[in-house]
This record gives sequence, C-alpha cells and structure tokens, in this order.
Amino acid sequence: MNRIRYMVEKEIRQLRRNPVLLRIMLAAPIMQLILLSYAANYEVKNLNIAVVDGDHTTYSQRLVSKFRHLTNFNLSGYLPNEKQARQTLLAGDADLVLVIPPHFERDLEKEGSAAVQLLLNAIDGSKAGIANGYATAIIRDFNADVVAETKVVAPGTVPQLDIENQYWYNPKLEYKTFMVPGVLFELLLLVGGLVSALNIVREKEIGTMEQLNVTPIRKHEFILGKSIPFVVIGLVLFTIGLLLGRFLFQVPLVGSLALMYVFAVLFLILCVGLGLLISTLAENQQQALFVSFFLLVLFILLSGLFASTENMPVWAQWLNLINPLKYIIEVGRNVMLKGSTFADVNRQFAALAGMAIGLLLLASWRYRKTV
Amino acid sequence: MEKAVSTNALTKKFGSFIATNAITFDVAQGEIFGFLGANGAGKTTAMRMLCGLLKPTSGEASVAGFDVYRQSEKIKQNIGYMSQRFSLYEDLTVRENIRFYGGIYGLRRADIPAKTDQILQKLGIESVADSLVASLPLGWKQKLSFSVALIHEPRIVFLDEPTGGVDPITRRQFWDLIYEAAHGGTTVFVTTHYMDEAEYCHRVSIMVDGVMKALDTPAGLKTAYNVDSMDAVFQILARGTSTK
Repeated sequence: MNRIRYMVEKEIRQLRRNPVLLRIMLAAPIMQLILLSYAANYEVKNLNIAVVDGDHTTYSQRLVSKFRHLTNFNLSGYLPNEKQARQTLLAGDADLVLVIPPHFERDLEKEGSAAVQLLLNAIDGSKAGIANGYATAIIRDFNADVVAETKVVAPGTVPQLDIENQYWYNPKLEYKTFMVPGVLFELLLLVGGLVSALNIVREKEIGTMEQLNVTPIRKHEFILGKSIPFVVIGLVLFTIGLLLGRFLFQVPLVGSLALMYVFAVLFLILCVGLGLLISTLAENQQQALFVSFFLLVLFILLSGLFASTENMPVWAQWLNLINPLKYIIEVGRNVMLKGSTFADVNRQFAALAGMAIGLLLLASWRYRKTV
Repeated sequence: MEKAVSTNALTKKFGSFIATNAITFDVAQGEIFGFLGANGAGKTTAMRMLCGLLKPTSGEASVAGFDVYRQSEKIKQNIGYMSQRFSLYEDLTVRENIRFYGGIYGLRRADIPAKTDQILQKLGIESVADSLVASLPLGWKQKLSFSVALIHEPRIVFLDEPTGGVDPITRRQFWDLIYEAAHGGTTVFVTTHYMDEAEYCHRVSIMVDGVMKALDTPAGLKTAYNVDSMDAVFQILARGTSTK
C-alpha cells in the first residue's frame, strides 16, 4: 500500500514541476467551457431578410414592418424582383427572402386570402427550419390581425385554436443551460483520458517505465498510483466547472450535488481506465495522442452534446451503447436541470460502472512488467 | 549452491532471429562478472531475461535462487538494475528520486532520510541534493543511478553499459563504486565494450552473435589466446580472426 503513496507523491511533484501543463490542464478546459457554451449556439438570431414587394400597399408595408420589429431579423433591403432575390441568396447577403406578389392587398380584401412566398437558404438545414418557423409565425400573426380588423363577427364564433407552449426544465430555452452540463463532462474525458495516457507513454519513452518494471511494484499499485492524481485533478476541474456554470451561466442545479460528484468520480475512473488502456497499446506519445483523439471525437460527436441521440440512425445508437460520454451527459443534464434522483439514472450508473470495471480489467491485463 | 546467477542453455528468439543462443554460465555471489560483446551481440537481451523484463524462449535460469519463469517478481525484490538509458526522473530533485525509489523498493519511511544522506555523502553531491537531476552532469547522474539501484541492498546488481559516454576519470570513480559494492558482498553483473573495464572484472564472458564464445578470468583469457590485452582477445573472438 505504501508504494501507492510514493507513486502519487511523485506524480504530484512532477505535475507541480510542469506549470505549463498544469495551467493548460486547468485553463484550457475552462476556456473551452466558456467558448463552447457561448459560441456553440443553436439559437438563431440576426437573420438577414430581403423583401421583394410587388404590391407596395399598406398591407404589404405592415407585413414587412412586423419582421423589422423583431430582434431575430435584420431587414437587409428591398429587391426589385425574384431573380434578384435568388442572386442575393446565392451571394449569401440574405438568409431568407419574403416575396409579396402584386395584388396582395386586393386579393386579401376581395377574395379573403392571398399568398406570400418565402425563399430560404437551406444549406444549414436546421437554421433554415428555425428561420422558417419564425417567419411563418409572424405571417400567421399578421393574418390574425387582418382577420380581426376586416371581418365583423360575433365574439366567440371565430374558430380559434391557441397553442401555448411551456418549455419545461429549460423554460427560456437557454442554449447555455443545455450545453454546460455536457461540456463539463466532455472536459473530464479530455483530462482523465488523454492526459493520463500521454503521461504513462512518456514514461515509456524516457525509459523510467523500464526502471519501474524491474522494481517489485505490483500492477495494482502502479495503476492506482497513476489513477489517483488524475481523478483528483479531474474533480478540481469539475468543481471549477460547476461553479462557473452556476455563477457565470446561471445554470440551475435542481438535483443533488452529491449525486453529481458520485457520477463525476465514477466517470473519471472510467476515463483514467481508458487512458491506461491506450497507454498499454501505444508505443509513443504520437500513437497515444492519435488513438485518444480519434476516440474523443467519435465519443463527442455521437454523445448528444450537440445533436439529439434519438434522431441518430440505428447503427449510431448501437455504437452509443458503449459511448460513456452519452450516458454521463444524460445524467448531467437530467440531474442538473430536472432534478433526477439516483433511481432515475441507475441505468446509466450501471452502464458506466460496467465500462469502468471493464476498462480497468483490460488495462491491467494488457499492462505487462516485461518489454 | 551460493550461485547468484545460474543459466543453462538460455535462449531468446525474436521470430527467426536468435538474440541469445543457448548460453550457459554461473556467477558466484560477490563476483564482478563482465559481459562483453559488440553492439547487437545479445548482451542486453540476456540481461533483460535475468531481470525478469523478458521471458526466455527456452532454457533455464535462476537469479538469487529464484526461477526466471515463475518467480520473476521475487527476483525483482533481490536485484538492482541500471539500464543503458538513464532512468531517473529528470524533473525530480536528487533527494526526491532517492526517496521515490527507496519507497518503491519498500524501505521503511523512517529509514529513507538517513539512506539519502548516506548516498549524498558517499557521492559527495550534498550541494546539489535539492537540484533537479536534469541539471547534473552525466557522470554524476550515472553514479546516482548506480547508488539508487543499490538502495535496497540487493544481492545482485545488473549494470547495462553503465559508463557509456563519460570521461575516463569519472569511469575510474564509477569502478571504485563497483568495487566497493562487490566488497560488501553484492554480485555485480556488468556489460561493457570498454576493454580496459574488462580488466577490472573477476571473470569475463565474450558474446559474439548471441553465442558465448569465451568465459574466464582476464588473465586466463589472455594466456589462452596468447595475447597481452583484453582488447586483443576481443578482436580475435569478435572478428573471427583466430590465429589458432
């Protein structure tokens, strides 16, 4: 048991001697947390809208001014015809074009209905979808105004179906609230998995690993001695991240803080297990870096950090069964935003614990005290 | 049965390449045993098998009375090892390195400070005790490595080209340390390709292409090959230009 203490002591000394690494390990993830949470944002703002007004009437002006008064839209200008509109979209000067045909007002008044056209740049499909949603809502709103003014009807006879949306667990649809719990765990994977793998492979490169292998140190002593410092650093990072989330991003913590820490420790053990396994497979830091990076990107893209996992194809969902990041992000979001208790996330706990044990067993099986 | 090392037809193959071909020898307790050979002759492979770092392909070997196949962890408790590559932690101080290896070798916590002082004093490096190892000259680093390899007072110490790249004076001092250890009863198993160092050994074996071509005292070898230096013995064996 004593040897573990000496290992941990040595690791901590070496880390303290390497202030650059220490700073990078603490500062870079925090910067990432801030950048990703602010920048990786699906809220659609500042949509550039161009208008082809073929009617030039009061009604057409009113419709346009409705767009103008919303912060999501910037009126980029009026265009003479649809051909120009197409070119503006192609040049990227507008995200969408509203085409109001001639006789818009006349048709509305006489026939009781008129059509407008929306042209959208749909290269980014989800952005176009959201823009379409906003624009449709505005047009519908305009429509309701017109109906109210022109038709004199007895109250209550107009069939109206009002849908009121209530967004639970993230009532203001704050993207940051959604991102912070996810990014927090992504960073633990980075530190726990990548940095620990590189640390051990470095000992192989400089030859101290061979020296350790001729000492009577036992496998579990080596593995624990290497793991403990990284779990501790990960927890420090996690605490900083939670505090930032709470006070900088105002992300609520509805559930139990203790439960969050239980999962953080479990997840860090898993990450270090992965790092150890990679270090037994890689001969040098380049190999370790490449393998870790490949896995990290795969885990992150599939994890549901950015896109919902339920909409992924079936094969991706199968892959996700062994994606630790997917489970821990579910836990983070549900506990922080919804107040899930252990009973609600015991399935994720079992999956993560299973993977952690599996990785540690594999790593200690692969770790040989021979060259 | 007071054999520090004993091998019988010890062989290591890497694929079809035979790195060590059926070598058989004994090393007595307290002996300074020189292991000579050109680069790639199989010295390091043989030493790694004895230290438990490599599993032999065939043959038998025991170190400190323990079998290399089944008791490699027991062997590790009883040997010291200094590899070709310098293997102390450059980003730890002299004192921290001693403390770390002392702890790993199971020294009692209370004994480590005294042991540290003893090593510092013996090497005359008290002034740099709290300097990073990276800042020491190579000769000092190697003497420190040797002392660290002996920290748990092992029965046998394996030195793989311990004096590579150091000046003649430091090499001489290094050999003083080896003699001192051997005098205290430690068996020293040392590989080298400096022929003047071969003269310092009690017995010398010469490896050529994985085969042990000769094994005797330096004086015995010189007589047998009718030459006046170990260098000449080595030239005859390694180049295969035997005059006999």
